[in-house]
Order: sequence, then C-alpha cells, then structure tokens
Amino acid sequence: MTKTYQYCVAENWGKGFIDHNESSRITFKGLPGDVWQVPAYNKHANLWIQKVLGTPKTRAEAQAIVDGVITQAQATWDADNVANESAEQKVDRIGERPVLITLEE
Amino acid sequence: MPDYKGIQGTAVQNFAADPPAPVTGQVWYNSTTGQFKYQDTIPAGAWATGGSLNTARSQLAGAGTQTAALAFGGNDGSVTAVNESYNGTTWTELGDLNTARRGLAGTGTNTAALAFGGTTTIPAGPGMTGVNESWNGTTWTELGDLNTARQLLKNAGTNTAALAFGGETAAIIVGNTETWNGTSWTEVNDLTTVRTNLGGCGATNTAALAFGGQIPAGPTTTAATESWNGTSWTELNDLNTAREALAGAGINTAALAFGGLTTVNVANTETWNGTSWTEVNDLNLARKAMGSAGTNTSALGFGGGPPTQNATEEWNAPYSATETITLTT
Repeated sequence: MTKTYQYCVAENWGKGFIDHNESSRITFKGLPGDVWQVPAYNKHANLWIQKVLGTPKTRAEAQAIVDGVITQAQATWDADNVANESAEQKVDRIGERPVLITLEE
Repeated sequence: MPDYKGIQGTAVQNFAADPPAPVTGQVWYNSTTGQFKYQDTIPAGAWATGGSLNTARSQLAGAGTQTAALAFGGNDGSVTAVNESYNGTTWTELGDLNTARRGLAGTGTNTAALAFGGTTTIPAGPGMTGVNESWNGTTWTELGDLNTARQLLKNAGTNTAALAFGGETAAIIVGNTETWNGTSWTEVNDLTTVRTNLGGCGATNTAALAFGGQIPAGPTTTAATESWNGTSWTELNDLNTAREALAGAGINTAALAFGGLTTVNVANTETWNGTSWTEVNDLNLARKAMGSAGTNTSALGFGGGPPTQNATEEWNAPYSATETITLTT
C-alpha cells in the first residue's frame, strides 16, 4: 500500500522551525512527543525534515511514541483528583482526559 | 531580448550565502549551493513558528501586534499572573498581573494594555471576577471593574476605549456587552447570539466583531458572526467551521479566526473581508484556548492546549519567500 504520510521526531525550537513557505507547501500535523506528520514522497517535506534534523520514524514507531506520551498523560489525568470534585469540575480544572490518536499510513 | 541587467540595471550578483534581506524581485546566484534564486511575494497567507512562550499555558489573553505583543494570565495547571512581552523573536517575562486569572480578555498594545474579567480559581465558579487592570509598559494598575464578573469573554479596542462581550458567569452564558471609556464600564446592547468561549476582535470600542463560541442550547458550538457598530450588534455571514475556544485578530472588516474546538482541537484558519469568511492555510499545531494579537494580515497565536503549549505561530499574508530557479536545457 502506498503511504500518504511520513513521520519524524523533531523538537520545535521556535522561530525558523517551520517557515511560511514550508507551511504553505506542506500540511504539518504536530503530535505529542515532538512527532510530526508530513506528506510522504514530497520534496518539500523531505527538505524540511533535513533542515530540522528530524529523526525519521515508521508509522508504527511514531504510533508507539505518541501512544506512550498519551498513555502517560491519561495516567496522570486519572490520578489527579480533588475531594468532592465533579467530573465537570475536573474537566474545567485540567481539561478533557487525553484520547489516543491513530496515525494514518 | 532584454537581459536581467538591461531590466534591473545590475548584473545577477554572486553570493556565498543567500543575502540576509533580499527585496522582492531580486535575483542572485548562491555559489555554495550552485543555485540561482529570487525573492518572491506569495499572496496566500501561511503560519510560521515563532519564539516559544517561557510559560506554557492556555486560557491566556493577548494584546499588541505580531512583533510587539503581550501575553498575560492563563492556566498552566494552576491560575497564573505571568505576563510576557514578544519582540518578534523571543518572549521576555515582565511584571505580573496583580490578580492571577484565566479565561480573561485583553486588548490594547504591549505598552498600553487592558486585562479584564476571567476567573481566579479552578474550578471556575467561585472565582468569577470583573477585575480590570491597565498596563503601562512596566506595571499593572487596578481600575474600575466590569459590571458583570465573568470568564471566557472577548474584547476589542484600546486600554482607554475598550469593549467586553459575551462570556459566562458562575450561573449562565451571557451576551452582555460593556464599553470602557478609560474610567468605567457601561452596559450597552447585548449580543444577539448569547455565547461564551467565543472569538472576537476590533481596534476600537465602536467597531468590533464576534464569531464562533459555545451557545447554551446543548450546549453546542456556533458559527454565528456579529458586527458591533458602537450601538448594536448585527448578524452577518457565519464562519465555515462552527467552533469554540477559537482565537481572533484584526478589525471588524478584516479579521482572522484560527484554531479552536469542534469535537476535537482544530487548526482551521479563516479570513474575514467584511462580508464573508474564507478558509485559508491551517495552523501547524491544532489547538484551542490560545492567546492572540495582530491583524488579519499579520497575526500572532500563542499558547493554548491541550496539552498545555508554549508554541507561537506567526501568520503573514502575503509573505516574502526565497525561491530556487530551476534551469532546464
């Protein structure tokens, strides 16, 4: 099956990490664990990964990283309780419980 | 046929590296990469990453421009008073708000801003506040409170002529609109669509735009857009994507709406021309409850979540870009 996306790990250092031209040419999706989804077989995406010294990951590897971060966040969320707090109040306090994300091929 | 020198009056220059500030239309040869390049202006807008906030947080407020902005208050796991200034590259911590809060509104510039409303607590209910503070570039000073204490409201104007609209009290979602004259807040006509966690913008307290948000029925998100003329709100064309917790920049005839929450965080960006919204290039990071500043051609989005983020993105339309010339024989 031809893949649509490729994945890499790269830390967003701020200014210059993604410039306007890259943003307009590449559909970026930032994911937990500094994982970035960009189009596969795309010259501009490949050049961007080189620029940011991204570490390429297979979809399965990227999925494992994202799952690890989200699972940890879910455990932290589950353990963060205040006496007599309603479910609605908990969401107001620390946001919705993180949900797992399925990465696309 | 005229050559480049004949048109421009100069030959194509040879550089070891791309020139630091090329002008649109300039052509050069990069002898290191062996490429001819030129500087172009791209009319479609796009988001680029900017310097990251020192304190990652959501539900914060913003003021100013893309290159001179202020980010204050928010939720970093607790309610915070942190205040940071952006110079176009980096964020620097300045004097804190007197009252730590989240879900507040802010307007003005990074040397003359106003922070009003919000909640001082987690959960929100007990801490709903109408506290109003003015920033002079160095310190925050408490001034007259909002008449209706509330959070997740929106804003327009300056620190001497501001507008506060929408939001929620501890009990209900409201459409209250209040106008600030530099001394006190006065209740004026309500929004037509009562809503909280909405988007908003406007340069004055007599011309503002309200869009999106959460309405009481359901509750559910709305795409409704309303324009304020100094006296009343008028319904205009809806956003393409209904959402809440979105950010806004610009004025009531040239606005930008970005990010927010549908059932998931979204990166959608829409530009408003005074009549209708048009979908343009998305944020690089989907998120809700971020701070914002600037205009619809030069905007700034920062923070947000979840998870709580410190990322900043800069919107420019048009933007300047260096392109490579591909030669064929």
